Amino acid sequence: MLGRVMLCASATLAVGCSALNEPIYIAAPAALEANDATPRVKGSIVLRFRQPTTDEQRKVDDQTAKLGFQVPWLRRDRIHLELLYTVSNVGGDPGTFAVGVDGASEMVKYDQDAVGQVFAAANEDPVLIPLMAPVPRTLGPGQMYQGTLREDDFLEGSLDLDAMGRWMAPFAAVLINRSDVNPIGLEMVPPNVVIPALQEVDVTLIASGAPMRCEFMVRVRDDDDQLLREAGDANLFVPTPAVFTPPAPPP
Amino acid sequence: MRRPIGPHGLALTLTAAVVLGPARAGAQVTDEPNPVIFPDPAKFARGLYTEGELGSVILFGPAGGGKVGPGFAIGTRVGYDLTRFLAVQLHAMGSTHQTSFPGKPQDDQLLQLYQAVAEGKLTLRFGQSSIFAEGGIGLARLSSNLLATVMYQDGYLTRWRTGLTAGGGGGYDYHSLSRHLSFGLRGGYFWLRDISGSQDLTVTTYLRYTF
Repeated sequence: MLGRVMLCASATLAVGCSALNEPIYIAAPAALEANDATPRVKGSIVLRFRQPTTDEQRKVDDQTAKLGFQVPWLRRDRIHLELLYTVSNVGGDPGTFAVGVDGASEMVKYDQDAVGQVFAAANEDPVLIPLMAPVPRTLGPGQMYQGTLREDDFLEGSLDLDAMGRWMAPFAAVLINRSDVNPIGLEMVPPNVVIPALQEVDVTLIASGAPMRCEFMVRVRDDDDQLLREAGDANLFVPTPAVFTPPAPPP
Repeated sequence: MRRPIGPHGLALTLTAAVVLGPARAGAQVTDEPNPVIFPDPAKFARGLYTEGELGSVILFGPAGGGKVGPGFAIGTRVGYDLTRFLAVQLHAMGSTHQTSFPGKPQDDQLLQLYQAVAEGKLTLRFGQSSIFAEGGIGLARLSSNLLATVMYQDGYLTRWRTGLTAGGGGGYDYHSLSRHLSFGLRGGYFWLRDISGSQDLTVTTYLRYTF
């Protein structure tokens, strides 16, 4: 009897672990290097997803018709992202760095530079608020910092992006507020909305006082096996998200 | 004419009767010593068995070298004793490990290794104790492609993480006085061909139940 219990427990644990934790890591093509000459540099990881099958597309269409608004193929509740990064001070003086993360779903792309340009065009000081931003830090010469933007950060970022892009949320309000603490700006978001997952992660490194180097990678848990496993582009899902631009500030 | 026995003579007679009396009794017949050692290994259950095990897995080769730390392992076996000496069994084990890549985003990440192996087992028993050797072939899978993002001196750890494994080991088993239960310690060394030819050492303690 005891042996049977141990067998069942072991099998359950093994199957459970396998299903819950099958992360895929996707490294950035190159490290970011910022210094006094170029204090602000940007790099991207574009995740490669496959196209839906006919059955999967029909389910998406059916759900879209049922809910009355567009249901994404890449869903936030099925694709779980995390950003891992390390920043090193490669100079001889102490310096400060900040990491900002923007991104794009299959429907909307948020680029803080594009937002800044809208303000600049109206002769206003640009408001540069990243979609997600860890706390800036100071590093001594040769020091290194290792950080993570967790899955719950990406949940929040995905919600903010969708709220701005599809549901007319005021961008600054949703970006600077954590929705579970203060849901300001999310009034127009339907309660049964299906939030799209990010399919592109854009990392901005800002350095001051010392040259900094940032390596980063995205960790993906892909519940429905939507990441493209083939090398070619024949089955590649190629979304064309609209770039979010806020309304121009009043003159 | 016989002289009457006095008090001293009576006491002497009674003492002699008490002391010498038993020696005069006939010898008793006793059973022959039982030649069977207790407990009798022949009475231990034999046939279908299951095992649960806990222990550790240490990686060597491209995935080793301190880059992937020792991991906690849990596993199970289902087997069948064909004879007293020979058994066949299926073994499944999972272990979880933490990486060490200082200065890289891959540092401190968790990854899991799963192994499923069909094995043969030879046992040599000494009363309640036995030693055994076992070996087999099967599949191993890394539940992460993390190592694929790290270039090693010895090569590149493949992203496709399921493949052949083969190896063997041995151990010590102690049978309890229950005819069903035994426990022991075992170790094994396995080659993970499709995880860039890495190897792993498994050391586990186990509890076995034979039906």
